[in-house]
Amino acid sequence: MKKNWLRSATFAMVCVASLSSAGRPAVAQEFPVAERTLKNGMKVLVQSDHSIPNVSLYIFYRIGSRNERPGTTGISHFFEHMMFNGAKKYGPGELDKVMEANGGSNNAYTSQNVTVYQDWFPRSAMPLIFDIEADRIRNLSFDPQKIESERGVVASERRSSVDNDNGGLLDEQLWATAFIAHPYQWPVLGWMSDIEHWTIDDLKRHFAMGYSPSNATMVVVGDVTPEEIFQICEKTIEPIPSHAPPPPVTTVEPPQLGERRLVVHKPAELPLLMIAYHVPPTNHPDFYAINILRTILFQGESSRMYQRLVDKDQIALDVSSSVEPAFDPTIAIIIAQPKQGIDPLKCETAIYEELERVKLSTITDQELEKAKNIRLMEFYHQVRTINGRANTIGTYEVFDGDYKKLFDAAKNYAAVTKEDVQRVAKTYFGANNRTVASLLPENEEKAKQ
Amino acid sequence: MTALKKCSLLLILLVINFPAALFAQSIHIPPHEKVVFKNGLTVLLLEKRGVPIVNFAALVKTGGAADPPGQEGLASVTAQLLRKGTQKRTAQQFAADSDFTGGSVEADASADFSTVAGEFLNKDLARGLDLFSDALLHPIFPQAEVDKLLAQSLDGVRAAKDEVRSVLGTYYDAYLFNGNGYGRTSDGDEISLTKIRGDAIVKFYETYYAPGNIILAVAGDFQTADMKKKLEEVFGQWPSKPVTPVKIPVLPPVKGKKLLLVDKPDATQTYFAIGNVATAAGDPDRVAVRLVNTVFGGRFTSLLNEALRVESGLTYGAISAFDPRKAPGPFGIYSYTKNESTVQAIDMALQVLQKLHKQGITGDELASAKSYIKGQFPPSLETSKQLAQIIAINEFYGLDDREINDLEARLDAVTPAIAQQVIQKHFPTDNLVFTLIGKRSDIAAGVQKYAEKQDARVLSEPGFWPPPAQK
Repeated sequence: MKKNWLRSATFAMVCVASLSSAGRPAVAQEFPVAERTLKNGMKVLVQSDHSIPNVSLYIFYRIGSRNERPGTTGISHFFEHMMFNGAKKYGPGELDKVMEANGGSNNAYTSQNVTVYQDWFPRSAMPLIFDIEADRIRNLSFDPQKIESERGVVASERRSSVDNDNGGLLDEQLWATAFIAHPYQWPVLGWMSDIEHWTIDDLKRHFAMGYSPSNATMVVVGDVTPEEIFQICEKTIEPIPSHAPPPPVTTVEPPQLGERRLVVHKPAELPLLMIAYHVPPTNHPDFYAINILRTILFQGESSRMYQRLVDKDQIALDVSSSVEPAFDPTIAIIIAQPKQGIDPLKCETAIYEELERVKLSTITDQELEKAKNIRLMEFYHQVRTINGRANTIGTYEVFDGDYKKLFDAAKNYAAVTKEDVQRVAKTYFGANNRTVASLLPENEEKAKQ
Repeated sequence: MTALKKCSLLLILLVINFPAALFAQSIHIPPHEKVVFKNGLTVLLLEKRGVPIVNFAALVKTGGAADPPGQEGLASVTAQLLRKGTQKRTAQQFAADSDFTGGSVEADASADFSTVAGEFLNKDLARGLDLFSDALLHPIFPQAEVDKLLAQSLDGVRAAKDEVRSVLGTYYDAYLFNGNGYGRTSDGDEISLTKIRGDAIVKFYETYYAPGNIILAVAGDFQTADMKKKLEEVFGQWPSKPVTPVKIPVLPPVKGKKLLLVDKPDATQTYFAIGNVATAAGDPDRVAVRLVNTVFGGRFTSLLNEALRVESGLTYGAISAFDPRKAPGPFGIYSYTKNESTVQAIDMALQVLQKLHKQGITGDELASAKSYIKGQFPPSLETSKQLAQIIAINEFYGLDDREINDLEARLDAVTPAIAQQVIQKHFPTDNLVFTLIGKRSDIAAGVQKYAEKQDARVLSEPGFWPPPAQK
């Protein structure tokens, strides 16, 4: 894509105000981020921090399992593995060996929405890291032997995180049931039969589809200056030509018109319960009110759900909720771990009663302020390390369209009212909009019979 | 829903393990001050700016090793109950006050020690210090909360067994130390947790939570002189009392070979650990051991991971780890593979170990591992939370700042010849303990060959090792 010809090097000074509503002076946390869009369309964000002589580098590609098709599910994640298995200059196994010998390490993750590559290294390894990154974006190789052995690795990963993990298994079933049209219905790891069958051509097609520099954002945080990063990018990354981005995902999940339920029977010590509600994507204005609601209901031992299910009724070991960053309308998931011998239905009933309570009368001022304080502490947790800052800057840039939204988060949370919280509870957390997944221990069921 | 390239899974087993140093610019722990109050409380203060957070870490020098036999989990339950009711707050009030600040007070115990950790924004310091000290000084252990927590802990053990990789280390340690010393799980098991009574918890607290038995580290955004004064006000009047240190049995490495197979009839994958009793925290060879282990099984390009994952695709990850403690702790090779390739993967792990002994490691491998440890070290000293923990733990093990400040020099001093000595001394060869969790009917015949002494358990049976009847 040749659209982004202009080279902007804006320098944003940003301020984070304390959320304290008690009238204390605002605590300001400033960190400048420099940005530039390379000629090939890749955006580069740099934040200098010389407190340790290290650097965190993240590259976010806007491609994930939502860009896949039935038959080749899981290919984004498999491809992520292949990005470590050899290119032109750094052959199979070379990338990791050279990086570690120079004090660096790396990892990567794939979600439904993005594939993210991470490098953590001492400043001295910087030229090498850029050489490696450029090599694998430009000249990735597809060695058939490597593909076969990596297939085994991914199958093992799946056996560990799905077959031998009740939470992973139930989560997979939950998404597959909550979505009937949209690609969020298949697992990021892919179905086992797809893992066994995809071909080298599928991989090549995936690379061609998702790995244009214009489809990526690079974030560099640590012992660097923006000027040196932009310079090294000009030499190594900018010459890599761009091409068309992945075709847009046009499928829209139709509204859910009634509750869906599923049951998994499996040998297990304890049952498990998950409840999903359809919610809007990350960049939706309701995102902040939904998070405040989830904080009040689920976060900390004083939260309403913990107080009810764990402390008072003593029917669960733990109760929590999660919403992953998403480009498309997604689901908020409630997870309850019932105690041994407790019917998950009992937990379900208690959860619904607590949800109804939030809908019937607004939360208290005290609860609202608590939730904002918890979110403020979370913000500091996210930005207190160079690694956390790289991930957070990139996540806001990619999912909210602008990293500067990170610094509006405090303001956006502060603007949430008790009525907003009540409204999102009513809008999204209703019976017709939910999918309920229960895992029932086979042994216990047999004992009952 | 995300999926990772690498083995974050097994790393759960070695959370405390690996601080590491850096390059041209040498690594130092920030300056900090040590004061011993009149009542014996050791206080460490480290100023760290950046984010407006203050971290407290109280290390009580007694942990699960002091649990009476049959009451494993007592130290851990005692720690967790500190904030479940105090002289001025009910458990619910404590949670409400603590959550309101966005901060936290958390407590737990490992075999060697118990910890109480607090984290607060500096604008809430007064309230935070009040909560943190309330938990430490004035817990009342209400019976209803004791009952609740014991019931939860019991189900916590069961939940852990539903996620095999989280209990592999527990079975391995239990079998390795044959249920003695570090073989007694400080989390407790399905039987021991039913034997713990409220009065035992009170007694544990009264015996061991004494100022002379505690190291209190504070790191973060504060002024040292001011913080010292505040701590003196809060903890200075805590009456001192003598505490008899708990003796942790020093167990020798296991002679010969033995194998425990824990049956999980629906498993599609076998999880295994192989090793023996190894080093203690203060071992003079510790830097060389860390270096050799980095080459052997402590990073992605380690000999083990290259063989089992990169070259053969048998597994998602293979690692090795030392877990040095007050007394010698375990060394283990940890991995997993599908049922059908169980023997192939274990054979391969053993071959890599044999090769390490026969061929040693090369100068290049050693140089690479030195760079790797130095390059990856600085982020382990980045937050006030990490710093508070590190200075408290080093103080506990009798290690001083040279542990960090001299790390680079100590790494540089390790030659291939020293590495070879360390391999012979600390990496087992013929004496090996095997622990496997998997589908017995598929794998039992194949793994007979590894040891004459074979033991068996079923995952759903209560306890770890030995079976409850033999205890």
